[in-house]
Amino acid sequence: MPELARLSVESKGDVELARVAGEVDASNVDDLSQRLLASVSNQARGLVIDLRETSYIDSSGISLIFDAAARLRNRRQELRLVVTPRSFVGEVLAAVSMEQSVAIDPALDEALRALGDSDSDSESA
Amino acid sequence: MTPDQTNRERTAPGALAAEEAVTRLEDVQRVTEATLAYLDLDDLLTELLDRVTDILDADTAAVLLVEDGGRTLAARAAKGLEEEVERRFRLPVGHGFAGRIALTREPLVIGDLERSRIKPVNPLFQEKGVRALLGVPLVVEGEVIGVLHVGTLTPREFQEGDVELLQLVADRVALSIERSRLMVQGQIAETLQRSLLPRKLPRVPGLRMAARYLPAAEQSAIGGDWYDVIELDSPCIGFVIGDVAGHGMAAATFMGQLRSAIGAYALDTMSPAEVLTKVASFSDRMHSRMATVIYATLNLTTWEVRFARAGHPYPLLLRADGSREYLTDVGGPPIGTGGRQAYEEQAITLSPGETLLLYTDGLIERRGRQLAEGEAALVEVAAGAPDEPELMCEAVTARLTEDNPPADDIAVLVVQTVGLHELLDVEVPAEPRQLATIRQLIRRWVEANGGGDDDCAAFAIAVSEACANAIEHAYGPQRAMIEVRASLVDGVAAVSIGDWGTWRQPRGGNRGRGIPIMREFMDDVSIERAERGTTVNLRRRLREER
Repeated sequence: MPELARLSVESKGDVELARVAGEVDASNVDDLSQRLLASVSNQARGLVIDLRETSYIDSSGISLIFDAAARLRNRRQELRLVVTPRSFVGEVLAAVSMEQSVAIDPALDEALRALGDSDSDSESA
Repeated sequence: MTPDQTNRERTAPGALAAEEAVTRLEDVQRVTEATLAYLDLDDLLTELLDRVTDILDADTAAVLLVEDGGRTLAARAAKGLEEEVERRFRLPVGHGFAGRIALTREPLVIGDLERSRIKPVNPLFQEKGVRALLGVPLVVEGEVIGVLHVGTLTPREFQEGDVELLQLVADRVALSIERSRLMVQGQIAETLQRSLLPRKLPRVPGLRMAARYLPAAEQSAIGGDWYDVIELDSPCIGFVIGDVAGHGMAAATFMGQLRSAIGAYALDTMSPAEVLTKVASFSDRMHSRMATVIYATLNLTTWEVRFARAGHPYPLLLRADGSREYLTDVGGPPIGTGGRQAYEEQAITLSPGETLLLYTDGLIERRGRQLAEGEAALVEVAAGAPDEPELMCEAVTARLTEDNPPADDIAVLVVQTVGLHELLDVEVPAEPRQLATIRQLIRRWVEANGGGDDDCAAFAIAVSEACANAIEHAYGPQRAMIEVRASLVDGVAAVSIGDWGTWRQPRGGNRGRGIPIMREFMDDVSIERAERGTTVNLRRRLREER
């Protein structure tokens, strides 16, 4: 059975990049949340969640993002989202004013650059 | 002494033979009448033993039937030796008086037990003072199924005519016993058969299903046809239709095994071809009967049907545009025919309002008719049948069996996607894994009613949020279902989501966001909290009407 959502995580230098494809709802959000947080080491500077391939997200997925942002903030790590402007996911995020809590970029390199620029220690990425 | 015997003594030899022949005929007639008059085997045997003792002027009579696959004889009915049945007297075939008859299949006469070398095993003969015995085998189609014997309390030299008469009676008795057994087996087979069919079909959002099982008109022909609906991992569902060769208990029993095997393999692999390949190898290992079967899966988000076919009649697809076609691309031999067999699968996609009709050969096969004619008749009848699956099942089975009662079992399974402009009205289990299916269903409904992509997405999230709310509500074990109803009036789509839980104030950030999201995407959101549960009403004017 194909899963509703697929998660792939890779390291871009000291930033973790998580790509979420498919649909996120109450049926898979717990599993997704666990795997997402487990993928971020203490050494990582931050996490980028790429939602451009996410076709559906609901309030439980929104909660996951708020929750992840709060946890990372406690660990002095930053969360950024990559969302295609005017997409369905973008609309849902706008409906809950996500941009006031979490930075949203329209393209991946912007998000990676923003995280890289936020700390000048390393240019290895 | 009976009047008959008096007559016989007085008449001349030539006339005596003729007289005897007439009497014999009358005697046999009396026995035959009895076999026709009684349907219950015990009543029949009691009556027959009465008549036999009367005709042969005997004091005792008994019927013993073969059991244990031919190893034992057990008393089934007796007259003058009633205790034999009460004590459930049994003896091994080959032993004693009756045992010897069952073994040799020949009549046996003992003129005087006290002087015979054959020693009966049954102590009752001595207790009752039986002196003379005459026994014959009960034979059906070359098989000994039991022994019929009569006895007298005085020594008697049974005559050849007595032996012949008793054998004639025995043949009638044997046939009656066989008929009655088949009938009882038929009843058991039907009971077993029905117990193995799904009691009711699951409710699946976006689908309407109906099924029928019609036992063969002749009870001895019952057994072996089945259908099944298997709830696979969301969003898929499996369908089975099959027919085990042969009839009766054995066919019904094997059908049960096949049904379980398919159910188990279906959870193992999503490929219908693989499922059938495994089932075929399973039945080869069991050295089981032959069976034809179709196994199909339907994905409720893509509406793709994949199926594999093992020697079974073609599925009939009734398209929404009115065209009808048999799906003939893939096939393969029936399972249980030996040899390694890998099945192939065919895929089709169902649009809204399309119907897949699966059936067993009893529906289309008639004696003296080509199979192609039967297939054409089904297409014609299905084309004229009502769309509603229950009514369609009824119409198809009724029309195709109206000329003559079915000689074989018939099973029919109708699977239909909900119609284009039809009111969406479904009840789904209150489980998170149903959310994806509900969204797919509502998208499809909005699209079918002229909504654009934005409308589809808007309703998908709003309805899904409302359902997620319902799932989170304090649900007891009693009725964990969600009702989704949709209607379209003057371009405004309205969807209501009802549950039987008690509304809880949004907790934490999570549910607190569900309602704003609904409001963001809908023109109007209202929540009714009543004693019986909570209903969320969503409305939105469809923006892109075609």
